[in-house]
Amino acid sequence: MPLYILVLWACSALLQLITLILLLANGSFRKLPFFTVYAALNLCQVAFLVFVYSTWGIDSKPGKVLAWYSECVTLIAQALATTEILKVTLRPYQGIWGLAWRALAFTSALVVLIVALATYGDWGTAGWFELNRGYHLTFAAAVIACLLLFRYYSVQVSAAYKRILGGFCLYSCTEILINTVLQSLAKKWFDAYQPIWQSSTMLSFIVVLFIWVSALWKPLPIEARQAAPPADSIYQRLSPEINERLRELNEKLLRLWKLEARPQ
Amino acid sequence: MNLPLLLLFGFAVLLMLLLAWVLRDPRELAQADVDFGDAEDLDRRHVAYFPQVRQALAADDSAFLASRASQALTHRVRRERRKIALAYLACLRGDFLKLWRLARVIASMAPQVGAAQELERLQLGLAFSWRYEMIRMKFFLGFAPLPELGSLSKVVSRLSIRLETATKDLGERAALAAKLASSMDGRGLDTP
Repeated sequence: MPLYILVLWACSALLQLITLILLLANGSFRKLPFFTVYAALNLCQVAFLVFVYSTWGIDSKPGKVLAWYSECVTLIAQALATTEILKVTLRPYQGIWGLAWRALAFTSALVVLIVALATYGDWGTAGWFELNRGYHLTFAAAVIACLLLFRYYSVQVSAAYKRILGGFCLYSCTEILINTVLQSLAKKWFDAYQPIWQSSTMLSFIVVLFIWVSALWKPLPIEARQAAPPADSIYQRLSPEINERLRELNEKLLRLWKLEARPQ
Repeated sequence: MNLPLLLLFGFAVLLMLLLAWVLRDPRELAQADVDFGDAEDLDRRHVAYFPQVRQALAADDSAFLASRASQALTHRVRRERRKIALAYLACLRGDFLKLWRLARVIASMAPQVGAAQELERLQLGLAFSWRYEMIRMKFFLGFAPLPELGSLSKVVSRLSIRLETATKDLGERAALAAKLASSMDGRGLDTP
């Protein structure tokens, strides 16, 4: 393994350790237990990979398969950690959370379908590589859909949570880009490009770890207590009426567009 | 690079751009809240100035001016009136957006949100924006469909009254909840 990859690996492990220490030292692990587990799993993965590569070698088939299996575990933990942050953020907004998880499910299903159609016929050869990219594509799309929902409803997200979510998304987006570019460059000679793939993915993860360290440097903010009363009846009463008015307004505008009103 | 890969690449770039957009400028959100909090502004809606705008754009006035004044002056007045109409339409849109945002805040406070209704409102908002741009273009090109604009103003005005009532209601409930929460924090010590 080239020296620069080992250096990157060491940097990544160090930053992962700092992230975990910050989570434990600040007491943030109580607020984000799944994210803490994810950070711990990342470190365990590093140790596991050191063991696997030193036993079977980096280019061996069992080594690669075991590495991908360990990746599956961390990716599942990543999905759980992200859902946890979204849930914590939306705790005071019960109605929006109900909408957000549906948006998450819908976007994920849609992206899985798109990915399946886009890679149809390639499934046999692509294997882990496609699965990994498909996961990141689905993940990034779902989280961005939720962030768009936050913005639409003016939901206040604390800077720390925003950075953690942004870091996850950034990592997924760079993974998709790197995988796609390298796949197009090295369809048949992937082994030759493996060091580039490894270093670029590790580099992007290091950037994300820096973002997380900056987010966790201070303790996570105390959640705002939900002082707002249940406004269900108001919503149920007003929402259809508002929509009706808006529809009416749009009809007026449509008539204007169709030149039913003559110019003065 | 084949088509599926190109599509994937494009999608990833789009996601990155969306991410950058969605995470940028937190001050904008704060500004939105400030705008919303400025509740007394709702009482001074631009729709209130519709009669004046109608008068300013009246065809009779234009005809009278054309018969008495020079051509240059008539053109100038027409240009100024068009400017007024455009500015009025922009203000009307501002009113609409403010009310639309208020509707979203009501939804965000509700414990249960109807997905169908929210989607419908989003769709209506997008349609409004598109049509507004089209009508603005018509104004710009010299059309002034004032009677319809009058109906438009009435709709905004009615919506405004309903939402103002709701805001007041929400405010009262929030105050009551805060009072209750404060009583519970005091573990009943502040009860008589």
